[in-house]
Amino acid sequence: MKIVVTVKLVPDPNGVKNIDPATKRLVRAGVETVINPYDEYALEAALQLKERIGGDSTVTVFCMSPESLKESLRKALAMGADGAVMLSDAALEGSDVWASAHAMSLALKRIGFDMLVVGGLTDDGSTGAVPGALAEFLGVPCLTNVRKIDVADGKVRVERETDGGYQEVTGALPMLVTTALTIGEPRYPSLKGIMGAKKKPIEMLSVTDIGAGDAVGAAGSKTELLSFAPPPARGAGKIVTPEDPAAGAATILAFLQEKKLV
Amino acid sequence: MNNVIVYVEQKNGTTRKVTFEMLCEARKIADVLGGRAVAVVLGSGAAQVAEQIEGYPIDAIQIVEDPAVEKFLLDPIVHYVELAAKNLGPSLILVPNTLSGRDLAGRLVARLNAGIAADVTEISAANGRVECVSPKLGGALVTHCVLRAGDYGIATIRPGAFTVAPGGSGAQIDRLEASNAAYPLTIERDVEEGSGEMALEEAPVVIAGGRGMGGAEPFTAMLKPLADAFGGAVGASRAAADAGWVSYSLQIGQTGKTVSPPLYIAVGISGAIQHKVGMRASGTIVAINKDASAPIAEFADLTVVGDAFAIVPELTKLVTAAKQ
Repeated sequence: MKIVVTVKLVPDPNGVKNIDPATKRLVRAGVETVINPYDEYALEAALQLKERIGGDSTVTVFCMSPESLKESLRKALAMGADGAVMLSDAALEGSDVWASAHAMSLALKRIGFDMLVVGGLTDDGSTGAVPGALAEFLGVPCLTNVRKIDVADGKVRVERETDGGYQEVTGALPMLVTTALTIGEPRYPSLKGIMGAKKKPIEMLSVTDIGAGDAVGAAGSKTELLSFAPPPARGAGKIVTPEDPAAGAATILAFLQEKKLV
Repeated sequence: MNNVIVYVEQKNGTTRKVTFEMLCEARKIADVLGGRAVAVVLGSGAAQVAEQIEGYPIDAIQIVEDPAVEKFLLDPIVHYVELAAKNLGPSLILVPNTLSGRDLAGRLVARLNAGIAADVTEISAANGRVECVSPKLGGALVTHCVLRAGDYGIATIRPGAFTVAPGGSGAQIDRLEASNAAYPLTIERDVEEGSGEMALEEAPVVIAGGRGMGGAEPFTAMLKPLADAFGGAVGASRAAADAGWVSYSLQIGQTGKTVSPPLYIAVGISGAIQHKVGMRASGTIVAINKDASAPIAEFADLTVVGDAFAIVPELTKLVTAAKQ
């Protein structure tokens, strides 16, 4: 079975987020680039699936990102992915959800897959809409928020989390699944994995390779971004150290009554 | 685009508060664009929900009572909303920013070749264009984005961001025939684990506990009574969810839910960035913490320094009394 995992490279979410006041963009300089933490869960799910199914199953990582961030992808290979494909092109910059999902789908059709595993959310301000759009462009079913996957004879049975519980859902390959965090903690790369990752292939694709034409970047998008700005800062409020708990509670009640919240 | 479609999420004949918020906002935008506001309600229970929303200021309610909506995962819903959109031509589609709303929105992006604005908190319209405001990166940035006049546009709407103003002259109800089609993903079991608790994202008051709670028991024995006194819901920080004290469905923050209630009370939560991004848009933030130098004191409107285990029960008594 050919399993493909999409990952996104993002500024380390545990790092400080700085906004360039001139460009209103996230400053990436000086902040380490990492694999989107949610996507590591997707990769973990894919690796577990490969281990369970065995045979000639493979896990390929797919990433749409500037080529300069290529080395940040090695961690996925160190965790156990067999290879990676990167779609890199300056023309992709500024793509919205429609244009991103469209370009990704063209690359993924070229790569081919039985199961496509996508992380639940991105950590850098995306919308959660890409997986659904991607599945449509690829013409495969879309099973979201999955915490358990079983595959046998091309049939897929999953448990997916809902707002108030869970569902068991069945379908057939090929399909796209997105993972919930409860699918399992991502593994750490082993020393052997890290050494081996250096030799694993990262194939590069361009917009020309996938035949995306003009349907890329800001010009190929369906939305126009007008501005990107920090909101008005939220100042610190009052800090009160009460004499006793009762006084503390009374302080809160008085504050809430003043604001008409009680 | 000049028409506005509202996708009404429903289960067993009940819908969410965000539905009414979207219906009222749809009217305003449709009036500016010079078009119609149409609600789409799908599945068993659709007729029941149509009754609940017909007093709101929309022009028409399309209902399709197709049992496929409960039998197959999302695909029937995508099909019927796409159909409604194609019948109306380039339009703005409002979808709640919920788990299944986000899934639906993504699917529609490709089906309708539509632009999308996610987690929208403000909308304005002019000359067929729709401008949406959305907080990004947990509110660290705010984006203004335009959905173009000639295309379909989708906005996923943040629950609680828009106000409800009922009043309408009774919408026309169009009952459409079910297609009785089959779809690729079958729901074999649908298990409800929640005990009918109020959805965290829609609660007017959120009482959230963190590492300082020290275990599962204070969430039920101490925070829940305070939440009940306010008519609100209990939430938690990642530390509390990771420790297994509460279910992940209660987790607020970067890897959990984003909430923006009028009142947020953080109990024993340090206020690390991971948590802050999930609640910083709340109206008023009150923190109860033993450490005056905790990061939460830097952005809470009121921080009371002290023992939460002593203060919270007192506060519960005071709020209960004040509400009587």
